[in-house]
Amino acid sequence: MSNRMDTIWSKLDRKSTAIAEFTMRQYRTRISTWAVLGAASVAIFLMLLFYIEAMNTEIEAIDNDGDSFDTDGDGYPDGQERLEGTNPESDQSFPDWVEPDPPEKWINEDDIDWDTLSDGENYVGQDDDGDCENLDTGSQRDTNDNNRECDVVVTIDELNGTINIDADSNVDEDPDEDKYGKEAGHRAFILGIGKFGIVYLLGIFLPLFLATGLIREEMNDGTIHYMLAKPIARGEVLLYRMLGYIGITWPFIIGLCITMALITGFTGPGDGVFRWGDIGVWMTIAWAAMLVSLVYGTIFCGFGIIWKNGVILAILFAAWELGMAFVAILSGGDSSIRYFSVIGWGMIIVDSGVAVCWPDNWQLIQSGLWGGGQGEENWLGEMDYKPLPGAVPLDTFSADSNLGVSSWLAFVISSLVLVFQGVLSWFIGQSIFKGKEVD
Amino acid sequence: MMPDMTQHGKAETKDWKPVANTPVIMFDRVSKTYGRINALGGVSLGISGGVTGILGMNGAGKSTMFKLMMGKVKASSGAIRLFGTDPWKNPAPYSRVGFVPEHEKLHDWMTAFDFVTTFARLHGMTRDEAAGEAARVLSFVSLEDVMPKRIGQFSKGMRQRVKIAHALVNDPELIILDEPLQGCDPLARTTIMNVIKQLGAMGRTVLVSSHILHEIERITEQIVILHRGRVLALGNSHAIREMLDQHPHKIVIDCENPRELAKNFVDLEEVTGITFKTTNKLQIETKHLGEVHKKLPEIIVNSKQLVTGIDNPDDDLQSILMYLTGGSL
Repeated sequence: MSNRMDTIWSKLDRKSTAIAEFTMRQYRTRISTWAVLGAASVAIFLMLLFYIEAMNTEIEAIDNDGDSFDTDGDGYPDGQERLEGTNPESDQSFPDWVEPDPPEKWINEDDIDWDTLSDGENYVGQDDDGDCENLDTGSQRDTNDNNRECDVVVTIDELNGTINIDADSNVDEDPDEDKYGKEAGHRAFILGIGKFGIVYLLGIFLPLFLATGLIREEMNDGTIHYMLAKPIARGEVLLYRMLGYIGITWPFIIGLCITMALITGFTGPGDGVFRWGDIGVWMTIAWAAMLVSLVYGTIFCGFGIIWKNGVILAILFAAWELGMAFVAILSGGDSSIRYFSVIGWGMIIVDSGVAVCWPDNWQLIQSGLWGGGQGEENWLGEMDYKPLPGAVPLDTFSADSNLGVSSWLAFVISSLVLVFQGVLSWFIGQSIFKGKEVD
Repeated sequence: MMPDMTQHGKAETKDWKPVANTPVIMFDRVSKTYGRINALGGVSLGISGGVTGILGMNGAGKSTMFKLMMGKVKASSGAIRLFGTDPWKNPAPYSRVGFVPEHEKLHDWMTAFDFVTTFARLHGMTRDEAAGEAARVLSFVSLEDVMPKRIGQFSKGMRQRVKIAHALVNDPELIILDEPLQGCDPLARTTIMNVIKQLGAMGRTVLVSSHILHEIERITEQIVILHRGRVLALGNSHAIREMLDQHPHKIVIDCENPRELAKNFVDLEEVTGITFKTTNKLQIETKHLGEVHKKLPEIIVNSKQLVTGIDNPDDDLQSILMYLTGGSL
């Protein structure tokens, strides 16, 4: 058996590995390779510093519902007076049968507890501080008129995916800013650095510097003649050179993502020592970056073959992709123009990873944007809720895959599309290479 | 430029068979133009076996001819066959070809051994086979001692030999060397010339290009003279040389005392005239350049003069061309 494996391996281990190995060694001997990889690492880790700083800074708690105040000055916070049934606005009325609470107790007392929410079930929320339960009349306790007292109604419009939150008064109105902000900030950082920093920036800059000259530099130097004088089709040369390219870039991307996953996993918020739930998201980020850098690499290498200043074409292409990256991120997956790009599909991979690994992500976003129901009425008479810290960034960097299929299928489809784009770029590249006169 | 989509050949050397009873290289009215420049105009040639020198001045079309053979450029018209196969469409014949390009650039970061091994594997060899072959060809070109050294540290002559070694690694039937002697020191020159002669003696087809007739003459008698993209002469160098010998040649010798040295030439029947150009330059005229060159070393040694340079001011190729073109270069 091992003998047979040896034979199979030695059959494969000829032209393809010879060129791939040669390419990798060539990269390793170039200072520019290390400069590009080094600069990319430094840039990503600098961003990480901001993250670590943010994770170690306490987010100031805000008294969203104002019940830590002692309006009447009788020593009892308003919340405690409401709970005990005395009048918070009269200094004559106070619960003298209990000791007054310190005001801090009434700052974060009614956290968002939508953990029970599931599809089809829209009764959520628990009146932790009792200031809804203690309201006098039934109609006061059921301001959203759904015949359930002190609940929150979350309606998901299946058609356009919008979410509407309608809470009875004083339910879930005072969430914990620090707890929420850390969780949302942590996720927003992973998605921001993952989608934009790793999948887009790394995905485009590594190939820009490392793949554009893959064939072109050899053509300029004249060293391509050695390779082309061998019984090997030019398409194969291109393919195996690309193998060498991914032999350098893929381990780098994987290594970077593992490092980032470890650092954020240990520093991130949560009860456990390590955030295992993030691993899948990091895996999809790495996978998306790998595929995207492969497709860009093949395209840029082709640009290099077409024209000696192919890097100009590559930069123009990168500009288009940058636009598409913004469209894909900012539209939250609602734009279909992103299908005409590479990065758009890369983002879908990450989005589907998020949907699988953080199934509560959309809920976290919505509760944060709702922010406990505190806010002001705008000129249209609608409520402008005051979002919790971290909710807006998390909302910005999260998106739906919007392919109309399950997350797993979206993952498979977008991966296949990227592979197809890569194969197509290779095919076009090798057709051009074949017809190219090499002087 | 639009890609040529007609290229289709797979580089599967196993399936590829050379066409029987056909010359190794065949050019049938091949032309190649670059824009308005005519690099090669209607060349027809068939070459099989032995060492052939391709002579021509810079820009005569030597490199273009080789590039066409190696499928790097596409002929504007005409047909090229390498073992009966069109090299532009199918790289398979290269399994029997070794090519030494003119380009000086090499992968300086590799060792000679790695370089040859890597490119040997492109012939479909395994690592072990490639390593064995690399060691063989590197010692064939007398580089066995420097195999583990980086090519970047090599002299010009050593680099040329590495290129030759890499071309020989598949034991090719056809070896094409584009200006292999250019810029080499005398020792490397001799080694390379011997290698080429040896290959010829082994029955391989060898093509060597040069713009110096003497070099080619030391290697082979079979020459093709290219001029402005056309084959000007084809055949035995002696025949060409004989035509030439009817024409006077000049040899300029740089030495300490031209008058002293001149005495040694007066008696030679081949010498038809002697001129003193400057205080340390002696010019000899002859119709038998080869004969004089044969005797020259002995005369110089006997004269005990310090000779710093010997030059043929009317470069011999140029004079052939002058002769063949009737004086219009």
